[in-house]
Amino acid sequence: MRTEVIIKFTGFVLLFNAFFLIISSLISIFLAETSAIPLLFSGLICVIFGLFPFIFVEDHDEISFSEGLVIVVGGWIIACLIGMLPYLMWGGEFNLINAWFESVSGFTTTGSSILNNIENLPKGLLFWRSSTHWIGGVGVIMFVLLILPQSTSTRLTLLNAEMSELSKFNFRYKAKKVVHVLAIVYVGLTLLQTLALTIFGMSLFDAINHSFATIATGGFSTKNLSVAHFNSSLIESIIMLFMVLSGIHFGLLYGTFTFKRENIFRSHVVRSFITILFLGVFFVSAKLYTTGVYNFWESIRYGAFQVISLGTTTGFATADSANWPGFTHIILIYFTIQCAMVGSTSGGLKFDRVYLFFKSLRKQLTLIQHPRAVVVVRINDRPITEHLETLTLVFLVLYIFTFLVTTLILTSLNVDLYTAFSASIATIGNVGPGFGEVSSLSNYAGLPDLGKFVLTINMLMGRLEIFNIIALFMIKRGNF
Amino acid sequence: MKKKLKLKILAGFMLLVALLIVAGTVSIIEFIKISRSVNALIEDNYKTIEASKTMLEALERSDSGILLILLGERDDGREILKSAELQFNKAFKVAQNNITETNEDKYIEIIGNFYNSLKDKIEITLDSRNKIGDMGWYHREVYQSFLDVKHAVDELMSLNQNSMYEEATILKEKSHRAIMPGIVAIAGALVFSLMLSFFISRYYVSPLGELAEAIKNYHPREKFIKTNIRSEDEIKKIEVEVNNLIEKLVKFHNEQI
Repeated sequence: MRTEVIIKFTGFVLLFNAFFLIISSLISIFLAETSAIPLLFSGLICVIFGLFPFIFVEDHDEISFSEGLVIVVGGWIIACLIGMLPYLMWGGEFNLINAWFESVSGFTTTGSSILNNIENLPKGLLFWRSSTHWIGGVGVIMFVLLILPQSTSTRLTLLNAEMSELSKFNFRYKAKKVVHVLAIVYVGLTLLQTLALTIFGMSLFDAINHSFATIATGGFSTKNLSVAHFNSSLIESIIMLFMVLSGIHFGLLYGTFTFKRENIFRSHVVRSFITILFLGVFFVSAKLYTTGVYNFWESIRYGAFQVISLGTTTGFATADSANWPGFTHIILIYFTIQCAMVGSTSGGLKFDRVYLFFKSLRKQLTLIQHPRAVVVVRINDRPITEHLETLTLVFLVLYIFTFLVTTLILTSLNVDLYTAFSASIATIGNVGPGFGEVSSLSNYAGLPDLGKFVLTINMLMGRLEIFNIIALFMIKRGNF
Repeated sequence: MKKKLKLKILAGFMLLVALLIVAGTVSIIEFIKISRSVNALIEDNYKTIEASKTMLEALERSDSGILLILLGERDDGREILKSAELQFNKAFKVAQNNITETNEDKYIEIIGNFYNSLKDKIEITLDSRNKIGDMGWYHREVYQSFLDVKHAVDELMSLNQNSMYEEATILKEKSHRAIMPGIVAIAGALVFSLMLSFFISRYYVSPLGELAEAIKNYHPREKFIKTNIRSEDEIKKIEVEVNNLIEKLVKFHNEQI
């Protein structure tokens, strides 16, 4: 493995971060805020460390898969480390662990926060906070692939390391085209949502920040009360629409907008995803109404927002679901585990895996009845290989195992079981809010420092889809 | 692009120097800000707090002076009242010339009005001999005025104390922001040095070792030495020159034969 090539690629990630840090610092300078120097200095660090490898490292040949894997995982970790610098330097509620937590939560698009008073943050720092979502939403390496001219095989290697096997399923394009499709949909949706939110009364600054957080399915808001602050059903509806769109496979969205055969209307997975979201909204709203928590329209309004927010792993809030009936909690926890579709910006388990799991289950039941039958699992009429099927099932088991271990660690740190469990699934799923002490309008500030650190590992595991992290250790041991 | 060794190493060190210069500059700027804040803290609030304390002390002395007069100790009382008035006026002037907080001028005006009212009552006590022993007059009129001035001065002091506390909190944040660039720069410089030493080892020390090994293993039957040096810097130049030398030596050897 060539260390210098890995350093050079992670340098690209730093340069990309530097771009957003400098924009954030310009906002702070313009508004004469205290965060100007922390942001500018962090940007400079990124530029220096990003440019440094270019002095020495000559143009490289193709990169190997193990190098690609280290670049992807290393890129994420470096981005998170650099991302915490402005917070750490600015101070306030940010100590070392809090700054790390906020940074990892931002880049992994989890959206969990340790801040008690978000509105106390300077605007430049708020913008950087939302930018971490936007950079992380589509993957830190993806921007490198988009901007820099790479050879086809290098691009393919990095893309394979960044995207899961299942994510590539609906992308029937070459690696270069996949990157362009992702970028077009990502930037397009962000611009559209910013425009819509501005038209319906949000300030441009809040609109940009909320669009960054929505399209990346992150959930960082610029307000203490999250989206509830605006108290506008129109704004909530726009955010709901874009949360759903951001939770759908970007290849299918591109296909829909460009009138291709591969579109959201022909996809069984999208149909199932939307149906389950709709069922979730129905049951939660019905329970809220029948138990008298809200009136009819409020039940639909708050119920729908919360289900879609958690079901797409965004994590915005318009109501404190901690006070809702237990039945709604169970449904919301299900959506926190299920997450949105592969090929979208959402993290965690992903709906497609749940869908594939049930298809596999049906196949196994058929095989019990007819042991000699040849049963092929299909998604959108396309056969799924045994390898992909097994990989999905192994992932499912690993996923459950990981959040159970995290729950165990948190409870050992005297965090109550409900909080520990929901925090674990909310962080590995990159959702954000959980229940108990970490509910939708609360935060993670009260958790012990070690617990916060464990949850950040969870967030990275969720974002990098566990396998990449395990594979990285296997490289180290020379087994890969 | 052909990069010279000297240029590469220099560029690496220049980046390190740039990092340290910026960190140093940022820290200096922040420390200047802290110094200004400390000055402001002393100038703006501490002066007025001290003046308020003096005013309160002067008021207490005035109160003692009046009580002495009412008890018949006229000369001693008058003496105390005179020096207390001087002390109060001096402190009041300091506060009056150091208005730094919002609405502080109104607080000063209220103190002035209440103090004038107290002074009027003191004058009445001094002018009228039949007030001796009249404790009812003292409680009704003088003591009430004394309390009014005292409360007004207390409020002025609280205003400045609160502001001082807020400023001290900001100061704490500023000192954090002054220290952090230094800490980050030190950590950054450490990582940078490690990276620099890695690159120097990877791109200069290793190729030189490789070149030495290739020269050592050179067999006269070979036409040139073989290395894996890919760079286009001075080290590659040495390799090329060594090969040229071999070629010349072989040619010379052949001519001799």
